Amino acid sequence: METFTQLPLSYDPSTKHTTMPSPTPALTTELSALNTLHRALTASQSDAQSGIPPPPTAVNPKRSAQITKLRESGNTSFRAQKYGDSIRMYSLGIDMAAGRPLWEPSAIAREELAGLYANRAQAHMAMSSWPEGAVDAKCSVELKKQGNVKAWWRRGKCLAEMGRGEEAERWVGEAIEFEGQEAELVELLEEVRKSLERKK
Amino acid sequence: MVNWIGLAFPFLYLGLLVGALSTFSSLYRKRKASRAQSLAPWFESHHPRDVYLSLIHLDEDDSEKPEVPDTVLKAALLRRAQEDVQRVLQMRNSKQALATLLQRGSIGDDLWQRFLRAEQECEEEVRDVVQEANAFADNWGSFIFQSAHEMAQNQQTRKRMAEIQAETEAEKEWWEKKRSTVQAEFMKELDDEAAAGTTTRKLSSKGSDDEAVLVEAPAGASQQGGGKKKKKGKN
Repeated sequence: METFTQLPLSYDPSTKHTTMPSPTPALTTELSALNTLHRALTASQSDAQSGIPPPPTAVNPKRSAQITKLRESGNTSFRAQKYGDSIRMYSLGIDMAAGRPLWEPSAIAREELAGLYANRAQAHMAMSSWPEGAVDAKCSVELKKQGNVKAWWRRGKCLAEMGRGEEAERWVGEAIEFEGQEAELVELLEEVRKSLERKK
Repeated sequence: MVNWIGLAFPFLYLGLLVGALSTFSSLYRKRKASRAQSLAPWFESHHPRDVYLSLIHLDEDDSEKPEVPDTVLKAALLRRAQEDVQRVLQMRNSKQALATLLQRGSIGDDLWQRFLRAEQECEEEVRDVVQEANAFADNWGSFIFQSAHEMAQNQQTRKRMAEIQAETEAEKEWWEKKRSTVQAEFMKELDDEAAAGTTTRKLSSKGSDDEAVLVEAPAGASQQGGGKKKKKGKN
């Protein structure tokens, strides 16, 4: 454990990159990860503590406020039936939430992203873009499996609209396992089953 | 008068005994060490650790090269901590299963030895990282692993999201294709119906015939692509 492999690394102060001659693929990814992290760390703080991420209890309140604002303006556009605008707002919000510094609490980013994806799914559905809606709702569910009935329902609905009855049935069944007997989900499941029978 | 010759025997005996024992013990230890060495390591080589230590030693042995700033070292340490978190979690997850397998005799003692050694190494590695972190800033050692854990989590989330979002294009393509086939089928049905219509309404004028088709279209459409029409109506 006292030994290590000395790598012929060199640091270039002008580009602020650490490089080495002819690295292996694994080392290439490692070095690029290091350089990205270094850039992120130095960009976020300018004080003497530079380079040390703050403990993962505090978050940058500015970013949270911006994300909330984007979501709200997306909601407003949605209510005004400007679905294209609302999708754009939600997408900006998603980029913003995904762009949080890596060392900030992951739970917060997940929560924000889950909400934004679910909302964007709804806006896509309003425009009858079922595939996009289905993908966004899946993202939301992936981030937050419980207490996310709307996202579960939305993907189920999108799948049903695209005529993927079996898939929709499976999906909604899983949703009920996670969320319990929610009225909305049960209703959708019945609907899906009925249309499946009609097809037969 | 001391009998030197008589006294030499016990000393000779003692010398032989100690010599034999020490030879045996050193041989035994060497063999044990070599056996431990021959066991394959549990993990692949620890790249972040190599990078970090190489960067640290870069300053020492070459004064010509530009000095590596502290921020790079800190970033490298954070990368190292991240890899350690992953390893510790992996070990914790597999320990129970491995112990059960060992009890049942499903795995050999070698594997268990390798695991224990890796565990020990991990512990030392963690301690080392904490020390290094504390050297950079007061108290950093107490939360560097928390930060590293969040980083790993965040990276995983983003990767997963990118994966799912990448499905969008394929899904859209599939849907376009499906919709066009559904529409084509539907148009064919319409044509058939139209043909039937012309035979039954041969007497009616051409204009009204077209109208009949137009009226029938939405009625049929609401059955095929029902959802679409319904949603459109809401807008």
